[in-house]
Amino acid sequence: MGKVNYKKMKGSQNLRQRLLLSTLSGTPILVEDIRADDKFPGLRPHEVSLLRLFDRVTDDCVVEINDTGTKFKYKPGVVMGGRRVAHDCGVSRAIGYFLEPLIVLGLFGKKPLEIRLKGITNDSKDPCVDTFRSTTLPILKRFGVPSEGLDLKIESRGVPPLGGGEVVLSVPIVQALSAVTWIDEGMVKRIRGWTFSAKVSSQFEIQMIHAARGIFNNLLPDVHIFTDHKAGLQAGNSPGYGISLVAETNAGCCISADTTISYARGDDVGDMEDEKKELKPPQDVGEDMASALLEEIELGGVVDSSHQGLLFLLCALCPPDISKIRVGKLMPYGVETLRQIKDFLGVEFNIKMDTSTKTVILKCMGCGLKNLSRKSS
Amino acid sequence: MAAGSGGKDQSHKAHRSSQAGASSKSHKAKAGRGKKRQREGQGAVASQESDKPKQPLTKMEKVDRKKRRRLGEDSALAEQKRQNPKAFAFTSSGKAKKMQSRAVEKEQRKLHIPSIDRTYGEPAPYVVVVQGPPKVGKSLLIKSLIKHYTKHNLPEVRGPISVVSGKKRRVQFVECPNDINGMIDAAKYADLALLLIDGSYGFEMETFEFLNILQVHGFPKVMGVLTHLDQFKDAKKLKKTKERLKHRFWTEIYDGAKLFYLSGLIHGKYPKREVHNLARFISTKKFHPLSWRTSHPYVLVDRFEDVTPLERVRENSKCDRNVTVYGYLRGCNLKREMKVHVAGVGDFSLSGVTALPDPCPLPSAAKKKGLRDKEKLFYGPMSGLGDLLYDKDAVYININDHFVQFSKANDEEGEVGKNQDVGEALVKSLQNTKYSLDEKLQESFISLFSRNKNLLPEHQGSNNKIEDHMIDMEAAKQGDLVEETEPDGPTKSDTEDSDGSASSDNNDAAPEKLAFTEHVELHGGRLRRKAMFENDYDDTEKDSLDGIEDDHDGDTKISDDDVSSSDSDSSEEDGEVEKHDHMGNMSRWKESLTERTGLRKSTNLMQLVYGNSASSMELRAQEKLDTIDNVDSDEEDFFKLKGEGDKKQKGQNDAYFDAEDCSKCMKYTGQNWKEVNIYERIRDRFVTGNWSNAARRNELSVGDAEDESSNDDDDAAVDGEFEDLETGEKYGSTETGPQELKEESELLKQKNIAELNELDEESRLAIEGFRTGTYMRLEIQNVPFEMVEHFDPYHPLLVGGIGFGEENVGYMQVRLKRHRWNKKILKTKDPIVLSIGWRRYQTTPVYAIEDRNGRHRMLKYTPEHMHCLAMFWGPLAPPNTGVVAVQNLSNNQASFRISATATVLESNHAAKIMKKIKLVGYPCKIFKKTALITDMFTSDLEIARFEGAAVRTVSGIRGQVKKAAKKEVGNHSNSKGVIPKEGIARCTFEDKILMSDIVFLRAWTQVDVPQFYNPLTTALQPRETIWHGMKTMAELRREHSLPLPTNKDSMYKPIERFPRKFNKLVISKQLQKDLPFESKPKDIPNRRKPLLERRRAVIMEGAERQVHALVQQLQFIKNEKVKKQKLTKERKRKLHEVEEAKAEEVSKKRRREERRDRYRVEDKLKKKLRGRN
Repeated sequence: MGKVNYKKMKGSQNLRQRLLLSTLSGTPILVEDIRADDKFPGLRPHEVSLLRLFDRVTDDCVVEINDTGTKFKYKPGVVMGGRRVAHDCGVSRAIGYFLEPLIVLGLFGKKPLEIRLKGITNDSKDPCVDTFRSTTLPILKRFGVPSEGLDLKIESRGVPPLGGGEVVLSVPIVQALSAVTWIDEGMVKRIRGWTFSAKVSSQFEIQMIHAARGIFNNLLPDVHIFTDHKAGLQAGNSPGYGISLVAETNAGCCISADTTISYARGDDVGDMEDEKKELKPPQDVGEDMASALLEEIELGGVVDSSHQGLLFLLCALCPPDISKIRVGKLMPYGVETLRQIKDFLGVEFNIKMDTSTKTVILKCMGCGLKNLSRKSS
Repeated sequence: MAAGSGGKDQSHKAHRSSQAGASSKSHKAKAGRGKKRQREGQGAVASQESDKPKQPLTKMEKVDRKKRRRLGEDSALAEQKRQNPKAFAFTSSGKAKKMQSRAVEKEQRKLHIPSIDRTYGEPAPYVVVVQGPPKVGKSLLIKSLIKHYTKHNLPEVRGPISVVSGKKRRVQFVECPNDINGMIDAAKYADLALLLIDGSYGFEMETFEFLNILQVHGFPKVMGVLTHLDQFKDAKKLKKTKERLKHRFWTEIYDGAKLFYLSGLIHGKYPKREVHNLARFISTKKFHPLSWRTSHPYVLVDRFEDVTPLERVRENSKCDRNVTVYGYLRGCNLKREMKVHVAGVGDFSLSGVTALPDPCPLPSAAKKKGLRDKEKLFYGPMSGLGDLLYDKDAVYININDHFVQFSKANDEEGEVGKNQDVGEALVKSLQNTKYSLDEKLQESFISLFSRNKNLLPEHQGSNNKIEDHMIDMEAAKQGDLVEETEPDGPTKSDTEDSDGSASSDNNDAAPEKLAFTEHVELHGGRLRRKAMFENDYDDTEKDSLDGIEDDHDGDTKISDDDVSSSDSDSSEEDGEVEKHDHMGNMSRWKESLTERTGLRKSTNLMQLVYGNSASSMELRAQEKLDTIDNVDSDEEDFFKLKGEGDKKQKGQNDAYFDAEDCSKCMKYTGQNWKEVNIYERIRDRFVTGNWSNAARRNELSVGDAEDESSNDDDDAAVDGEFEDLETGEKYGSTETGPQELKEESELLKQKNIAELNELDEESRLAIEGFRTGTYMRLEIQNVPFEMVEHFDPYHPLLVGGIGFGEENVGYMQVRLKRHRWNKKILKTKDPIVLSIGWRRYQTTPVYAIEDRNGRHRMLKYTPEHMHCLAMFWGPLAPPNTGVVAVQNLSNNQASFRISATATVLESNHAAKIMKKIKLVGYPCKIFKKTALITDMFTSDLEIARFEGAAVRTVSGIRGQVKKAAKKEVGNHSNSKGVIPKEGIARCTFEDKILMSDIVFLRAWTQVDVPQFYNPLTTALQPRETIWHGMKTMAELRREHSLPLPTNKDSMYKPIERFPRKFNKLVISKQLQKDLPFESKPKDIPNRRKPLLERRRAVIMEGAERQVHALVQQLQFIKNEKVKKQKLTKERKRKLHEVEEAKAEEVSKKRRREERRDRYRVEDKLKKKLRGRN
């Protein structure tokens, strides 16, 4: 009964944030013109998979996609959560793509979420699962998410093009988050890292570590990089190797950089960068990632550039208290997130340059979202 | 220790009873005194205070007094103890333990999580709802209170009336409407409810109904007020009644709840003294935040206007209207984008939200005691109170006609300036526009004033005779003449100073017409500087205006423009600074200037993010800005950037349109970090670097962020403290007690306020929305015209904000309990009106109860004394929200109208409600242990669904459904040519069943909850008419006089059991032969004649006969006696019956008369109502 008022949007960009915010704020959305003028119009496989994932985790959600896939309606339902949920993410995007909205969604569910995701665990495009475990989950803890029940288990690795990895994510539920004042970035006290190799020689990892340490040694002695060599079933379906580095500061901030080297996907046309990287030997990979991490550190901010979006989102979902955070340079993804947040939640950030450190300080008052689906006892 | 606590407890009790006017007999003497005071016309509760000084006591004093009192009691107790210490010792350790545990338990029960108060600034006036049954004196009480506060007579109470009641407190009085819809709404916005009770009549249902509604919607403060006490002639009776009513009131709320007595009327008004006391009670009430209200903004409308274009209304009087509503914002902050629910109308999005100046402001801070008469403001536009009406762009002054005296337009012209006052002359001259300007300027010695006044009409500025300093003012407007006037500046400064504050004020007023109020900080600056600023300001203003008007100018361009212009301006001004460095008061304006430029930069960053178009071009620009900003940029870069933006924007925009959704898009520059000079750059970011350097970096940045405010240190301190606390909370939040939580929340609040105060007004508004306590004007478009048509100021309008996901419709589960005073139980799927959150709607709930295995079993009716679940379809509400259910909305109904109360458990689509179903079938063919069952299923498909299900016969033989019967087997008995019947199932049993057996299958089936909800649109109809929605089945039947459908099989009939006839047992001869003798049937031949014992006669002996006769005689006598007794009893009974009948007749007559009187009164009321329509 009753007419549904859809919020109209255009284009395929920011689909994840749109779906996530739509579900959290209970706003039905209608997205039009999804790659309408493209050679291959409509939703990509990973986007459809994302819609399916949302459908699986929520209850009474309605998704309608038109024939060409250039338009879809999404009416959000109640976030259910629950145990032993499984989802196949496909091989067009890595699991990191799905994890980013899922951890926020899981917080506001009826029951704690425990979901098994299959697909590509490590990818050069999305944050890899190691980074997720080492960097993303501590950010959540800052916002008052209980640490018990918040976990990501890597069961097997999978790299492009064929994937075959498997992770288990468990997210507890919260009544509400708590606002943060997080402007102290601190000094880097240690650097940790994880390398992995699947279906390739474990020597690759040693080389990567050696190269990375060569750069860090000038600055910090406390560098530990762990190796994770997989073979057989646990190594997935394709060969590849990669590294994920995390710098921890004495103020509790984690700044990360990661990448994965593997063969490009067959169907991905014109992705030149991937092919270039494929040629990269492990030494270069190690060096590059170490440099990338140092660059991230130089930028400043309490999180690295890829976690800005998540940070903003969590701040906006807090109770109506002031959150104050510091980030390095505003990334396009972060800016888009800010816009989407304003669109859906009506939360506007006050953004100020900190000229002396070239960082940006953001302030916002949370929208006061409470877990509506949680059952009252 | 425990002994002490127990004793104290007792003393408390005694104290309370004496204070409230004695319930126990031991304190009769005290109580009597209390009563006497009551009779003197003062509230019983107030009597304690009334002999104390008149002005309200400060807190300290009160505490002191309490302490003293307690001390006194304690000393008395101690004395007692000394006399007989054993009397207060424990006799058993068990008892001691019990008492101690009870004391601890009581202490624990008092603890609760402190609610975080997130209201900053002055609170909105507290809403005092005056509620009571009709004719109890509600409006009179409000009138008396208003009179008390403001010394004004209020002719009529229409809508909310705000009053400044104290130096720091305002209250808003609202009269609660008498219908249940109005009561429900009133309960949602009341901060304090005054329940008026007619003392001469006693409690009425309305009071209890309202109390129940209040309880469900958060339970604000409640105070009872007894009126009509002058109707008692007998003092003793009055006392008794008061006592009785007070105790009844206490049982409903809590022991010791405040009940106020208003003794009677004097000249049609309540006595001044009592109203004064009541006002004091109102002023001392403390209000705690209620959870629903602190999370939802709401506005109690005290002014309502229809702003539809008149032309539209003229064309179609039933077109949708645009309305504006005004009122104080309460609850929590309101954001512009928020959707609202107008109670009784529906959901709307706000099309315009404006904060207006407070029409009823608190007095400015002063040290004096009490309020001055001037500060005793009041505001009630619906009642025609309040002289000022504020609108978005205008202020209306309401002056009564008899206050207005128009001065004569034409006095003799020559008299001007001679015998008149200066001000008068000025006003007169202003009225008279015929005078030429220069004439007046020369002749009048207050030319400075007139100069400024003359400026106001701008189009008059064509005079060529304006003095030099007039050019200054012109420059302020145009900005072209800046250079020209610059040298004049320093020489003019003296005159400016001599002008005094009035002139500077006027100067401010003049540019206000042109632009905006941002020049406040420049009060001390000189005129010339101001001109610069005006120019600056105007430019930016113009730019932004251009940007809005011209669509082809992208937003990026605007922002860039701003940057460039401001930068260039600042550089210009810097140059000036150097020029005029010798001047003393330069530094101040310079400070503000730099502040401003800094501010603009930050707004630019915000504009880049929140600008209209979401192009990546902006990002690019922003990135560049980041890099360039600090490296002392020259303007060339900016201009180049702008050009680029213009060219490329379109293309970039399209490119980003379908951009890949990827959080990791950092492009690394690829510096060689092995080089020393590169990695040394970030050396201080590592613990191996210079710690003090790093600390400085952090400190500096904090200072920067805090806008170089003077209270930098304080803020930093607060911040530092807070961070500690936060980490502490993170790791040990479970251990924190309530006290710590309270402190924490207070700290959080302080921190929030500090952070918000740093921001300028606009960005604060953007971040937190409109603060609570501001007077708001909300514009709502396209409301049904009925809302305007049937708007009734007696029914205050409630506008409440809707939270996230609360406008969505879905299934909700609530835990519901029928109200114990509701006469009937509720039926599943009967429509019922629910009030949840701000909303009221009709829906059809399905009742259920949770079985032990977690199944929700449907209930046809609610349980009589138990909670049950109810599931219904409607707009969702967050868990733990209170719900009131009402079935009957009519006004003149004697019984209790609230049917049930509930709380929301969850909104769940998946929760299924099941009901039991029994499928009954009959065997049509029986093989050994298998039987074919008909009539249980209708099709073979159904049978397939139930394969393997357990079945049972009435006699208890268990079995299982196997499969659909084969056609040949199942139907071979049917006549040929007929289509074989479907739905015959083959079942096997544990034993052979009979053809007379009935087989049944027990199963569960899901009940679907009807997707029906109907918002109550009570504001869209005349308020007197009763809203009618969906009718219940019973109502429909009554209307159409339909009988209840009955299942014939369900009727109870007398059971007739015929004695069963068994056939004779026949044993075959063969068998008989084999049987042993004792088991053999014996062949007893029939006798023709009776036996001898039957035939013979008995003859008695003489003595025997005598005894027999005597016995018979005695028996006869006894029988006669009993017969007589019976007769007398019968007679007496009949007499009694006759008497009873007589008494009954009399009482019936009395009752009929009573009823007739009541009906007559009701009829009169009804007629009056109709007359009003």
